[in-house]
Amino acid sequence: MKLYSLSVLYKGDSKAVLLKAAYDVSSFSFFQRSSVQEFMTFTSQLIVERSEKGSRASVKEQEYLCHVYVRNDSLAGVVIADNEYPSRVAFTLLEKVLDEFSKQVDKIDWPVGSPATIHYAALDSYLSRYQNPREADPMTKVQAELDETKIILHNTMESLLERGEKLDDLVSKSEVLGTQSKAFYKTVSTCDPHLFPGKPFLKMGPTVLLVFLSGYQSFLGIFSSHWYVSTL
Amino acid sequence: MAESTEEVAVLVQRVVKDINNAFKRNPHIIDRCHMYPAASKPRLYHCMEREVWHPHQEFDQISEVTRWVLQQLIQENSLPTFVKKENLATFPTEGVEQIVQEEIEVCGEAAGRYPSNYNAWSHRIWVLQHLAKLDVKILLDELSSTKHWASMHVSDHSGFHYRQFLLKSLISQTVTDSAILEQSPLVSEQIPDLPKDDDEEDATAERHRVVDLSRLLEEEVELSTDLIDNYPGHETLWCHRRHVFYLQHHLNSKLAHSLMRLSPVDSSGGTLNDLNLSPAATRMTQAMDVDGLNDSNKHGYSQETKRLKRTPAQDSLGMEMEHRFIEQILSTCRNVEQARFANAYRKWLVTLSQ
Repeated sequence: MKLYSLSVLYKGDSKAVLLKAAYDVSSFSFFQRSSVQEFMTFTSQLIVERSEKGSRASVKEQEYLCHVYVRNDSLAGVVIADNEYPSRVAFTLLEKVLDEFSKQVDKIDWPVGSPATIHYAALDSYLSRYQNPREADPMTKVQAELDETKIILHNTMESLLERGEKLDDLVSKSEVLGTQSKAFYKTVSTCDPHLFPGKPFLKMGPTVLLVFLSGYQSFLGIFSSHWYVSTL
Repeated sequence: MAESTEEVAVLVQRVVKDINNAFKRNPHIIDRCHMYPAASKPRLYHCMEREVWHPHQEFDQISEVTRWVLQQLIQENSLPTFVKKENLATFPTEGVEQIVQEEIEVCGEAAGRYPSNYNAWSHRIWVLQHLAKLDVKILLDELSSTKHWASMHVSDHSGFHYRQFLLKSLISQTVTDSAILEQSPLVSEQIPDLPKDDDEEDATAERHRVVDLSRLLEEEVELSTDLIDNYPGHETLWCHRRHVFYLQHHLNSKLAHSLMRLSPVDSSGGTLNDLNLSPAATRMTQAMDVDGLNDSNKHGYSQETKRLKRTPAQDSLGMEMEHRFIEQILSTCRNVEQARFANAYRKWLVTLSQ
C-alpha cells in the first residue's frame, strides 16, 4: 500500500490554486518521475475544481485512488494513493493536515499563494510517516467525526467532468503539464505495457520514453538505449 | 516449467550475450557479484544476470534461466544441497544457503516491482522446494520475514498464497510420526527420556525442535483478523482466511490420524477414542482439495474415519468463533465490499457444516 502525493490547495472561484505539495515517486522508473509528479499536480487541481465545498470524495483512476476533502472555507487537500491504502486513514490525514495548515498559514495568503511563497513544511514528513498507516494512525475503530457514508465515490476521472468535456483537451490546455508530459500522454494505447515494468500513471507512453533514453545516453554515459541497470 | 529445453537454451544464449555486452561496457559490475571459487560459466552467468536487467525480458524469463542454471549445477553435483537425515537437518554449506538467500531477495524485489508478480512468488516457491528442500528453519524464517510484506500488500493474492504454501509445507515436513510422539501431551509420558550426553546436546536440541503448528496457525488467524478489521474490502484477505481455517482442520485431523496409528486402540483409554472426524471436515477436505493436499491420506481415510473422529465440541467451537467474527464485521463495517465478502464467507462455512 502506498501514498504517492499529498497536496494542499485553495478552491478559487474559477480554478484551484496549489499551495503546497509533497510527492513520493520513488516507485516509478527514473525517467517517469517528473512527469508523474506533474500529472499528480494536474489531477489534484482538477479534482478540487470539480468538487463542491464542504465535500469529501474518492476518485478511482486505474489502480490509483485520489481522496479529496474540500472544506467550507475553500481550503482543500488531496491524497493520491493506491487501491490498498485504507481510505479512512487517508481522510484522517487530510483532516489533520488542513487543520494544521489553516493555523499556520494566514487565510489572506491562500487565494494567491504558491508553493514558493507558502511557509508550511510538514507535508513531506506527513507523507513519509503515513506510508505505513498502522504506525501513523492508531486505528480507532469508532470514528464519530467522519461519516463514511457521505463520501462520494467516483469510478473514473471522467465522471467528474462536464458533459462533453474530454480529459485529453484538459491535458493539452493545462499550464501545469510540461510539453514532455503532454507528449507522453498522447502515445497511449498502441504501446506494449510490458516494455517498461512499473506503474504508468494516467497511461504514460513507453515508446516516447525510449526516445528519451537515447537522448540521455550521451549525458549519462553509463548505459545504452536499451539497458536499465538494476541499481538505478 | 512450460518452456521446452530448446527454448530455454535459446533464452540462455540471449542472456549470455547480453551479459557479455554489459560486462564489456561496464566492467565494475563484476565487483558486485559473488564469485564462486570455481568460476565455471553457469555460476558466473547466474550471478551476473542478477545485476543486469534487460527491459525487454520479463522476470519470468530471467527466473526461467536461473532455474535452468541451478538445475544444471544440482545435476552435475556442483552444489551441495540440503540433506535431511531422520529429524536432523544438516546445515548446508555456505554456497547453497547464499544462493537461496539471494534468490529470495530477488523474488522479494520483483514482487514489489511488478504489478503482476505471480512469477516472483512461484520462483520463490521453486527455490524453497528444490534448493532449500523445504528446510524447516527456512520455512519458519520465511513465514516471519514475509509477514510485514503481506500486511502492506493486502490485495496481493500471490503473497498470501505463499504463506499458505509455507504453512502447508511446515505441516507436511513436521507432522511425522515421531514428531507427533514428542509433541502430543497424551502420549509423552510413555516415552522414556532420551539420553543426552554433552557432545550430543546440540544435536538433540535440533531433533527436539518442536514446531508448534497449532500456535502458528492461530497466529495466522490473528493476522487475518487484524488485517480484515483494518483494511476492509479486500477479497484476498478473506480467501486467505478460508485457507488458514482449512489448514487448521487439516492439521487437527492429521494429528488425530497419527496419534491413532501410534497408540494402541484401547477402548478403555477414553481420550483417544473421543477424537471424531466430523462430516464437516470431510466436506471441507473435498471443498478445498484444489492443491491435492490429501492425496496421500485418501487411502487411509475410509478405514480410519470410523475410528478417528474429532469431538463435536472441537469442530463447532472453531465454527462458532468464525461466525462470531463475521457478525462483528457485519455489524460495524461500512464498506459494501467488506459486507459482501463477509456474507460469502459465512455461506461457505454454512455449506461445510451441512
